[in-house]
Amino acid sequence: MWNNIRNMFSGKSSRDVAKGRLQLVLAHDRTGLEGGRLQEMREEIAAVIARYVQIDANEVEIEIETRSRETQLTVSSRIVTRTA
Amino acid sequence: MGRAIVITSGKGGVGKTTSTANLGSALALLGHSVVLVDADTGLRNLDVVMGLENRIVYHSVDVVRGKCTLQKALIKDRRLDNLWILPASQTDDKDAMTPDDMRRIVTELKATHDFVIIDCPAGIEQGFKNAIAGADEAVVVATPEVSSIRDADRVVGLLAQHDIPARLIVNRISQHLVKRGDMLSQSDVIEILALELLGTVPLDDQIIATTNRGMPAVLEGKSAAAKELMRIAKKLAGLEVEAPENVGLFTRIGRALGLSAQPA
Repeated sequence: MWNNIRNMFSGKSSRDVAKGRLQLVLAHDRTGLEGGRLQEMREEIAAVIARYVQIDANEVEIEIETRSRETQLTVSSRIVTRTA
Repeated sequence: MGRAIVITSGKGGVGKTTSTANLGSALALLGHSVVLVDADTGLRNLDVVMGLENRIVYHSVDVVRGKCTLQKALIKDRRLDNLWILPASQTDDKDAMTPDDMRRIVTELKATHDFVIIDCPAGIEQGFKNAIAGADEAVVVATPEVSSIRDADRVVGLLAQHDIPARLIVNRISQHLVKRGDMLSQSDVIEILALELLGTVPLDDQIIATTNRGMPAVLEGKSAAAKELMRIAKKLAGLEVEAPENVGLFTRIGRALGLSAQPA
């Protein structure tokens, strides 16, 4: 219960924080992709998408996630729709 | 023909040598003939954990150099009839041996013993490559910490590259800390590493005391860690084992009184 009270105030338990950090670091380790390089890739992908549709480059999100030894790369972006 | 099992982890200090000593002793207690191989050339410790440090005459590098036969380098444990250890050299480097040398040694030992348990050094360099060379299967030991699991993950990847099937021991878990939200749980570790679990060994003061004496904990048999290590050894030997007793006092009392039909 004490744990629940603490989590209510401070958010995540140290266990959850450890798990999240591990999942991220393992995604980088398993792909051999450093965190900084991932951001470079995000910018390049944003530039490519922007050639085809109108987007806000700052809104492009890149996510790397690993589950059961499978690593998933997700790029997501909101497209600015033209008003007629 | 016996089975060669390498005990590995990537990170140092997570309990490889203690696991090797205890699982090997437990398998010997179960009646199997077992050889423990210390693959940590230059930083050997299996001898002291087993309490056999004063009996070493020859070691595996002597065997490789033809100074003695393999049989002559084996030390027989005095507590158990069917347990031997092949010590590592303390004065040579890891490159005093090649993976082929280790494979030859392990193959020869497998011909005469049921289990060859190899204590792998920390790291993923030469010593690791030697240690896994002759192994048919691996046991990866990880403690519920970010650094240990990260290193274990690297090792799992390397073992897969060598087609060595691996199973997991989660070591030094404290259910108290898990419940408080301050430690990764066994299911967190399994989920992240995606390995089959052999067992979860609790953090246990008794392991320190038995290690101080050079006595594998399973030979005293009373502590919680020793019981779990014994259970893991049975699983390794292919015996049917019950799920670990991991329920609270009240559930146990209730069960004893016949109040709960289903075990938790």
